[in-house]
Amino acid sequence: MNQVALITGGGGGIGGAVARRMAAAGITVIVADFDHGAAEKVRGEIAGAGGKADALSVDVTQAREVKALVTDVKQRFGRIDVLANIAGGSFYTKRIEELTWAEWQEVIDVNLKGTFLMCREVAPHMQRQKSGHIINTASNYGVTGSALRTPYSAAKAGIVAFGKTLAQELAPDGIRVNTVAPGPTDTPRVMDKESSEARRQRWSHIPMGRTGKPEDLAEVFFFLTTPESAWITGQTLHVNGGLI
Amino acid sequence: MRLGGKVAVVTGGAQGIGRAIALGLGREGAKVVVADLQADKARQVVRELSDSGIEGHAVEANVASEPAVKRLANETFERFGRIDILVNDAGVYLKSPVVDMSEELWDRTISVNLGGNFLCSRAFIPSMRKQGSGRIISIASGIAHYGAKEFAAYAAAKAAIIGFVKALAREVGADGITVNAICPGAANTAMPRTHRTEEELMARLRANPLGHVLEPEDFAGPILFLASDAASYITGQAINVNCGSYMT
Repeated sequence: MNQVALITGGGGGIGGAVARRMAAAGITVIVADFDHGAAEKVRGEIAGAGGKADALSVDVTQAREVKALVTDVKQRFGRIDVLANIAGGSFYTKRIEELTWAEWQEVIDVNLKGTFLMCREVAPHMQRQKSGHIINTASNYGVTGSALRTPYSAAKAGIVAFGKTLAQELAPDGIRVNTVAPGPTDTPRVMDKESSEARRQRWSHIPMGRTGKPEDLAEVFFFLTTPESAWITGQTLHVNGGLI
Repeated sequence: MRLGGKVAVVTGGAQGIGRAIALGLGREGAKVVVADLQADKARQVVRELSDSGIEGHAVEANVASEPAVKRLANETFERFGRIDILVNDAGVYLKSPVVDMSEELWDRTISVNLGGNFLCSRAFIPSMRKQGSGRIISIASGIAHYGAKEFAAYAAAKAAIIGFVKALAREVGADGITVNAICPGAANTAMPRTHRTEEELMARLRANPLGHVLEPEDFAGPILFLASDAASYITGQAINVNCGSYMT
């Protein structure tokens, strides 16, 4: 049976790598992203490599858009086996007294509310299938905190606790829910903001001696969809070269 | 086969989870050294491996004994010439309330469960370091996190393994060696049978969110993943494999 994976933030660095990894394993991938051009690019790469993919637009903070996306995917592909919630971002580096309520809400919504809305919409389909894998994305900052990133750190910690709870709720239906917590990862979004030398110095204390690659994350997302991880649920897998 | 050409050592590999790991590593192409106090059972696992066309070697070893661990390392290098994967599974599971606990029980639990991790890691790291790669995977336990009545020594040893793994990961990361633990949930093995009736045990084993009774074979998948190239950026972690019974 052909598996179907829905990947939010699928046009981004980590999301794109996850989409390519799953497609390489024969999974049909729906690359969903706020940035349709980015999603389309990943879809094209997968199709060029002989994989099956589609690109769709979604703003995960909008319940109506999330509902429309999931309904569309269900109608066209018949099932959803994997939901990878990767859409997110920290956007601002600001002291708390400078942070506006709108900025706070924006970061909480993209990361935490988006994860909730996607899970709420997809879970009933998985419950009817009596199977499914949900993989959410946290961050080392959700555990350690990070100065000037209060909403991002809070949202990521929230995703961990949300995932543990959802894992308990969905386990009776054979659905597993896990969280991947990346450390510093070389995505275009962060690489554009910092020279590679500055980045190497900033993270020179990572035990494995390098920052992460999107492909490192992709392997872990994929592992969590395979029978090898069948008895892992409600857990957070840190992929950070030993940083924490 | 993800582990073709690799050499693995599994301590406590004669039965239960260790045996399942040894057989799993062999299926993925690794040559496997099965180290255990129970030499006959270790040889039996090696026979099972060779029946499937996999090279193995049995070593009688007490992982809490320095000379024995030295011999284990020597035999591994003599037979296979290298080490890529060390799985520290050897352990004892001894019951006693703390107020009645003998010093002997405490020492044995800590030296086998925790000390074995130290001695075996120390013995094999220099070779991993030379080749610039290696995987050390320790079997901790969910009991490290939630404790277990009348198993204080075991809980302390297993929690200490997690601390050891995190510290060692920082020491050897620059050499391309990853160090991780898995924390198995209660499983259908011989160990808990020494202290529970069959009925109690099965009810307890099923009481997890996924409603599945964990078998020794269920832990092989995560171990194989950690041993493979796919997990090259995961280190210093303790991964719970427990059907959601406990979440950290």
